[in-house]
Amino acid sequence: MSPKNNPVMVLEKVCKRFGGVVAADDVSFELEPGQIRGLIGPNGSGKSTTLNLISGICDVEPGIILLDGEDITKKAIHERARMGIARTFQHPRLLSRCDIKTNLFLGHDLGNMRRASGASQEIDQSVDELLDVAGLKIGMDDSIKTLSYGQQKLLEIIRAILTKPKVFLLDEPAAGINTREMDRIRALIAIAIRNKAAVLLVEHSMDLVMSLCDIITVLNFGCVIAEGVPAEIQGNEAVIEAYLGRRRHA
Amino acid sequence: MTLQRKIFGLVLLLLLALALTLPFTVSNYMLRVCNMTMITYMCVVSLFVIFGMAGQISFAQAGFWGVGAYISAILTVKLHVSALVALLASGLGTAAFAAILGLALFRLHGHYFGFATIGVVMILNGLFQNWKPVTGGADGIANIPPFAIGSLEFASETSLFYLIAVAVIIISIATYVIYRSSLGRAFMAIRDNEIAAKCMGVNCYQTKVIAFAISGLYCGIAGSLFAFVSSYISATSFTFMQSSLYLVMLMLGGYHSLPGPIVGTALLMMLPEWFRFLQEYILLIYGLGVMLLMVVMPDGLIGGGKQALESYRNKRKGVANVAQK
Repeated sequence: MSPKNNPVMVLEKVCKRFGGVVAADDVSFELEPGQIRGLIGPNGSGKSTTLNLISGICDVEPGIILLDGEDITKKAIHERARMGIARTFQHPRLLSRCDIKTNLFLGHDLGNMRRASGASQEIDQSVDELLDVAGLKIGMDDSIKTLSYGQQKLLEIIRAILTKPKVFLLDEPAAGINTREMDRIRALIAIAIRNKAAVLLVEHSMDLVMSLCDIITVLNFGCVIAEGVPAEIQGNEAVIEAYLGRRRHA
Repeated sequence: MTLQRKIFGLVLLLLLALALTLPFTVSNYMLRVCNMTMITYMCVVSLFVIFGMAGQISFAQAGFWGVGAYISAILTVKLHVSALVALLASGLGTAAFAAILGLALFRLHGHYFGFATIGVVMILNGLFQNWKPVTGGADGIANIPPFAIGSLEFASETSLFYLIAVAVIIISIATYVIYRSSLGRAFMAIRDNEIAAKCMGVNCYQTKVIAFAISGLYCGIAGSLFAFVSSYISATSFTFMQSSLYLVMLMLGGYHSLPGPIVGTALLMMLPEWFRFLQEYILLIYGLGVMLLMVVMPDGLIGGGKQALESYRNKRKGVANVAQK
């Protein structure tokens, strides 16, 4: 099991139902600063729902989510964001009619707000450094529409890092991007880790998950079916079964 | 953004130059038209704030304009309050009114908020029309004294022109400052992607109410100035039609940047004066023009112009590249 140091976020038996479909069923895990937890599972296993529950887009019913020991289960999305939960989306949600500068400043604004309330310090990197790491050679006044899909995903990650999050949720950052951009994403996640974020990574690319994550939680039909370091997960019978189906016994 | 800043600066300078010289070059009648144009511009800017920036379409603006006008009219005519106090009361009162209304209406989302604001302007118009003891009913309120600060009276069209110009400049600069501030970015985040805005710590409900209150403030000031300029007000001015006219002006100029409202308002207010010989057809031309614009330049004249400039530049760049090879 996970080495229990000082978790920044705790999920306790978190549930979510959409009508008759159980999207999350007693999901429990912890996130620690500077650690990357992978959240994997087949399509429809409740990974994105779990992110939505943590960021507040969906209501938890029932269950408890703690951030720094404080119950945030009933808090609004923006309150959680101000407390230090940042996220990206499977399909980047940028301000489509604004320029790149405005999009980045939005992250800055939240970062400033968090610093003003003493909840956070300055991040060590400047916007230029982050853009450099992301390999984005873009004009700040350019429209978002001039960016490729991969570039938009990178920009969304930078926007989240600028808020200096305590908890950083990434929803399939590697989906639909090329290998070079994948390396950029690795580098950006490394920066978030250096800034002491606890990262929760939802991802289908096993390459990325197995090489990056310190610990992995596997979901299937809303239930946690396995938890462990990458090597354990790769050999776990239940996980293999969930992904590939049960071996038929003759 | 430097290009936009340059354009904005240029427009502002032109406006200033115009403001300084206009009263000496045009007739009194044209000056009245200019004054009305500037008052309308303030309302269109208010729509720029709530719709252009925050993405919440509102038809309540003419109603707010009326609230501002009636507050000033009632305060000066019936309660003999000084004009300056009445102006401030109109601005702040209308802002407060818009904020309270916003608290209720922003429980609705998207188009439903827009529909509700149609109800607002209609109810307000009905109120102005029928609440006889307060608004004077269909007779309206007459004999509104001229605007004055102490013994300095703004009775002539020329002095009013300068007064309104000052208000216009203050409102334009304030809007520009908001546009560049974190508040403006929160507005635009709500417009473009509400979920993303929330995940970036924006309290969408509260921020929308603030945007609505700011738009109410602008309309309230415009309404007060309108009352002082025309010295008589009645419900017929503050209609749904007027609100849609603001929207047309904003769409015509372009609702993505501040010069949009300037261009849109100036064109739609001045065109009828220039094309007076087409009087009977002016509405037809309006309608067709708006439709044509939405097809050809959906981002308005400013947006379309910017696009044309960009493609022209790219073309030149392309030519230069080919020449180099």
